[in-house]
Amino acid sequence: MTVFELLQSALDASTLRQAVYANNIANAGTPGYKRQDVAFETLLQSALGSGTSGALGEAQIPIGEEEPKYDLSTLPNIVPQVYTDTSTTVNSNGNNVDITEEMVLMAENQVRYDTLVQDISDRLDRLRTAIMGS
Amino acid sequence: MFDNTSMNISASGLAANQLWLNVIANNIANVNTTRTPQGGPYRAEIVNFSPVENDVSFQTALGQAVQGVGGGVEVTSITQDTSPFQLIYDPSNPDAVNGYVETSNVNLTTQMVDLIQATRAYQANATAFDAAKQMAVTALGIGK
Repeated sequence: MTVFELLQSALDASTLRQAVYANNIANAGTPGYKRQDVAFETLLQSALGSGTSGALGEAQIPIGEEEPKYDLSTLPNIVPQVYTDTSTTVNSNGNNVDITEEMVLMAENQVRYDTLVQDISDRLDRLRTAIMGS
Repeated sequence: MFDNTSMNISASGLAANQLWLNVIANNIANVNTTRTPQGGPYRAEIVNFSPVENDVSFQTALGQAVQGVGGGVEVTSITQDTSPFQLIYDPSNPDAVNGYVETSNVNLTTQMVDLIQATRAYQANATAFDAAKQMAVTALGIGK
């Protein structure tokens, strides 16, 4: 798996998340509906093997030691998975959607998506510079 | 990388809440209706929501290994409120029986609370729609 493929599957996960949160919001008043969420980063981290301090994205710049090397080429194709969340509080009509939480998660997901797009664009820019010069 | 599933889902939420708002408006408008074509006073209408299940044939083929995203929300039925009618003392009304008129069972407090709820839900769906649109626009900027 190349970096671009990895970034693309992260974008796919983010797109899927948007759909899942949109569905939760649409069903915020539906009796008996249970909220859904997407598992991706946790799957990715377990695929990378947890050898570093902190969670993925929280890794700090190591001082005086070798940076942990992730071998992306051996990384399997990670497919984001939709799961039903039953951990949150259920209200009187059997629905467990907290609209405030969904809006927060959705905003966060949007920023994540923008960041990924920015990263891809920057990498393409560097490629362009390498090919065209200057 | 980007599909319009999210936008369709949010659109279903907008449509369902729009319908709910219409029903509430109709209930409030008929709060004093004593005579309907069906006979008797007006009965308040209740909107029933249910999630839209997506076509799961592909998932079924995979032995339900992968859970899919739902397809939004829909109004499955509009039912009538069976609670008793209100009695109002008005002997001059042609529908009066022993001086009392039976009028609709619309509870204005309930309707106003529902109205706020429906408006908020509509706004939330509009925000979700906007988020999906922004993401699509961002994706179009890749490589520019």
